[in-house]
Parts: sequence; C-alpha cells; structure tokens
Amino acid sequence: MSKHIVIVGGGVGGTMLANQLVTKLYSEILRGEVCITLLSNSPDHFYKPAFMYVAFNQFFDEELKRPERSLLRPEIDFRVDEVTRFDFAGQHLHTRSGKRYGYDFLVIATGCVPAPERIEGLKEAGDHFYDYAAARRLAERLNTIERGRIFISVSFPKTPNVPHQCGIAPVETTLMLDDLLRRRGVRDKVEIIYTYPSVAQLLRNCLFMQRPVGEALPGIFEQRNIRFQRDFTLGRVDAERRIAYSEEGEEQPFDILMATPPIRAVDVVLESGVSQAENDEGWLPTNHETLQVYGLQGVYVIGDTVDLPISKAGGACHNQAPVIANNITAEIRLGAPNSVYEGRVQAVAQMGLNAGMPLWYDYAHDVLPTPPSKLGGLLRTGFNRGLYWAVARGML
Amino acid sequence: MDVADTLPGHNAGLVALLTKLQPLLDSGRMDNVVDVLALVSDLVDMLDGAMVEKLALLFEQATAVSWNVGNAARMATAQTQAEETPPSLYGLLSLLREPDTRRGVALALRTLNVLGRQL
Ligand SMILES: Cc1cc2nc3c(=O)[nH]c(=O)nc-3n(C[C@H](O)[C@H](O)[C@H](O)COP(=O)(O)OP(=O)(O)OC[C@H]3O[C@@H](n4cnc5c(N)ncnc54)[C@H](O)[C@@H]3O)c2cc1C
Repeated sequence: MSKHIVIVGGGVGGTMLANQLVTKLYSEILRGEVCITLLSNSPDHFYKPAFMYVAFNQFFDEELKRPERSLLRPEIDFRVDEVTRFDFAGQHLHTRSGKRYGYDFLVIATGCVPAPERIEGLKEAGDHFYDYAAARRLAERLNTIERGRIFISVSFPKTPNVPHQCGIAPVETTLMLDDLLRRRGVRDKVEIIYTYPSVAQLLRNCLFMQRPVGEALPGIFEQRNIRFQRDFTLGRVDAERRIAYSEEGEEQPFDILMATPPIRAVDVVLESGVSQAENDEGWLPTNHETLQVYGLQGVYVIGDTVDLPISKAGGACHNQAPVIANNITAEIRLGAPNSVYEGRVQAVAQMGLNAGMPLWYDYAHDVLPTPPSKLGGLLRTGFNRGLYWAVARGML
Repeated sequence: MDVADTLPGHNAGLVALLTKLQPLLDSGRMDNVVDVLALVSDLVDMLDGAMVEKLALLFEQATAVSWNVGNAARMATAQTQAEETPPSLYGLLSLLREPDTRRGVALALRTLNVLGRQL
C-alpha cells in the first residue's frame, strides 16, 4: 500500500523538506508507492527575515512573498487548508475545510508566532519587526522620530535553554537602527539603549546568548555610541507613561520600545497536548539527533517548533531538512532512521545597513565573530533578493 | 633561497603561506595572482546594493524558469514512459480536456504571443 507523507506548514522548513523528499523518494513516487501532501494555511510563502528590513524601509510586501505552489515540485499535492486538530494515536489530522488526512509519516513545520500579549502592556506600547504589519508600524516610527530614547529589549522563552527567534536579529536591528538614524541626521538627538535579560539560555548576565559574540559586542556598541545594559528582563510595560519595568526591579522610560517579544508555537500544536514546554509555549519534545517527536509514531518536527537549544532560524531548517528527508527515506527503505542532525545553523548576519558577517555554529561550537565587511553585506543582499528562493526550492 | 627563510622572527602562518606561494614566485606567475586580486577588488568596489539586487533577481528568474521546465519535462517523461502503448488520438484529446493541460497550452500560446509582440 502507498505510504502517505503529510507535511504541515508551507514556510521555509516545510517547503525545502517537501522538495527534498521528492528527490530522495523519486523512484517510489514514480511507482505510486509514496505520495507527499503539503498543507498550509496560506497560499503564499513569506521570506520572514525580510520583515526586519521592512522596519527600515528596505523591502516591499510584494518583494518578500511568492505563491507557495510556485516553490514546490509538481509531484507534491499542495492544499491550502488549515490543520485544526492532530489525532496522533489514529495517525490522522483534521482541517478547517472539514477534511481528514491519514498519514504514515507526519512532519510538523508550523513555525512560531510572536506573542507580545504575554507581557503586560507590551502589545499596546511596544513595537517589533517579527510580522509584516508590526514592522510597517515600526518603520513609520523610526522614520519620523526626531529626538528621544529608543529602548531595545529581548524576551527569551521561559522553557529552559530554548532561544528566541533568529538569535542575532536584536543585534542586527540595533546596528541597522544606528545607521538609519545617522542617515536621517538625527542620531545625536536619539539615544539607543540595547538591553539583554539576566538569563539567556545557558548564560547569565550577558549581552548575547553565546559568549564569544557577547564579548565582542561592547566594543562594537561603544564605537557607535550605543548604550548597553545587562540584566533587563522585560516584566511589564506602562503603556500610558511609556515606562518599561524589568523583573529585576528597574524602570526605563522610552519613546520607542523596540522589543523581541515572547514567542509560542501555533494554536494547533499547543492544543495537541504533546508539548511539555513551560509557560504553554508549545515547543515539541524533539530528538536532537533524528528530529523525531518523542513519544509519537512516525512524527518529525522541523524549524521553529522544536525545543532544541539552537537558533529558531531558516539557517537551522536548511540543515534539518536533509536529515529528515534521509530519515523518512531510510524508515521506508530500511525500517529505521539513519541520519543525525548536529545542530548546524548558518547565516550571514546584517551588521548595520551595509555590512555583513557570515557565521555558523552547531551543538558543539559557538559563533566566532569576524569583522563585518562590505562583501558580507552584498552576500546578504544577494541572499535576500534571489538565492533564498532557490534554497526554498531545494536547489541549494 | 626560500622567501620564508628571510623572515625576521618566526611566524608560522606567514611561513605556511609563503611556502605555498614559493612555486608561483619561482616561476614568475605571482604577478597574475596579484592582477586577479586587483580585479576582484575592483569588482567589489563597483558592486553596490542596487546592482546585487538586480543580479539576484535575474538569478531567481533564471533558476525558477529552468526549474519549472526541468520539473515538467521530468514528470512528463516519467508519465509517458509508464504508458505501455502510445496514447490514441482520443487519448490525446482527453488529455486536452484536463484543465491543467489547457492552462499549459494557454501559457505556451501567450508566450508566443508576447514573443511576437517584441519582434
Ligand atoms: C524578523 C525576522 C528575522 C529573521 N532573520 C533570520 C535570519 O537572518 N536568518 C535566518 O536563518 N532566520 C531568520 N529568521 C527566522 C526564520 O524566518 C524562521 O526561523 C523560519 O521561517 C522558520 O521556518 P518554519 O518553517 O519553522 O516556520 P515558518 O517559516 O514560520 O512557516 C510556518 C508555516 O506554517 C503555516 N501554518 C501555521 N499554522 C498552520 C496550520 N495550523 N495549518 C497549516 N499551516 C499552518 C504558516 O502559514 C507558514 O507557512 C527571522 C525571522 C524573523 C521574523
């Protein structure tokens, strides 16, 4: 009987994986022994990192999305339908349209969503760049502020040793902000304060979640006259008085609060009851080597929904997709998974509006910061504008 | 004499680099390497965000078209090979009845139309 692989989520993880599975299992697909269905609740695929650029007026909405169908190999059965309930025991799931899909293998690739409402006052008074609408609002503020105080805060998930989305984004946007304000000629009248919470995964009282980068940051910030402060865990925000209070007992006034807000898994994953993560965050218990979900039969997870200690980043999905494609193929052909994820993530960090810093790390190695360069910046532009779509198609 | 021997003090990195470069220096081909570096450096100076954006878009368009055509050819080949006998005339006509075929034909005709418009 034909094996049915169902992937839920048409983001970067689900899309890359679906295409790579077709390549791996092509002979079985031709013989009608395997079929692949991808379910997503959106007909469009978004290049999410571009939201960061939207906040600095560098990307249009139309440039950061493509029809999902155009990124998928024709062998994949793509349906726009939201998954509303998983029945893991019965190996099937239910969708908004009332359909029921049975599966032999399921991959959950539903990402995560910003949840500013989880900190009192943050949704009302704070700004962020983790979705398009919020990034547009922030762009308007950043492009009109003439004087005042921009306060930057970073909230980590409460689940121990799980990072926020795209670890380097707060540093990237702080440096982009400095450049933008200089371009606008108002930098000397606008104070920038970068803060970091007391607990950042395994580190304490630091400026970044990995020690080598954290130690390089004071020098970078001092050069640009950016103030920085450790031990500010955003606890609540007084939206009327525009004051941010920390859990450590401090208060800081702001004109713009540029926050990395709390995040959580999507509703259908939260409601599945499989997660053991704290604070109802919903991260799925993930085998850090095979990427299977612990305790479930034939279920894998990719991307932002994992509970692993590595960055919730497209650069992580890029290394997870081949592992899952191999493991599902090996389960079908050999009866057991055969590939191991080593925690590798790679990216080109945008260090200010024009410079870039290629970086990589894995479970065993931290990022080693190198001097940001113009060439690095151009590489990042090339990736944002073209290379990404080849990566999503599974070509690179 | 090896260039590495002329170095004051001992710098392992420099010695390793110079040892690698020695054959190029010996044969007088080092000039070419320096010229290439200068050319690369000129190219980096000339590149800017806008040009990279255009090149990246061109890359996307080229890869997307070749990917689409390649995917279609691969799938159509597999389906055609799987047929034991060639389709009858009626079989071909019933292929035309499928909405996806008609969409594909429309795409091909429109492409010709636009090509014609550009002549
Ligand atoms: C501002 C910003 C900057 C970033 N910068 C970088 C960077 O520089 N480098 C980097 O590597 N990463 C970066 N990231 C992170 C990167 O975008 C994410 O890690 C990546 O998108 C995660 O991929 P995913 O497939 O897990 O989830 P997503 O890409 O979020 O995709 C989830 C998909 O699931 C679908 N979905 C959700 N719920 C359902 C449901 N119930 N039923 C069906 N479908 C559903 C959604 O429509 C979506 O298509 C950044 C992210 C942001 C927001």
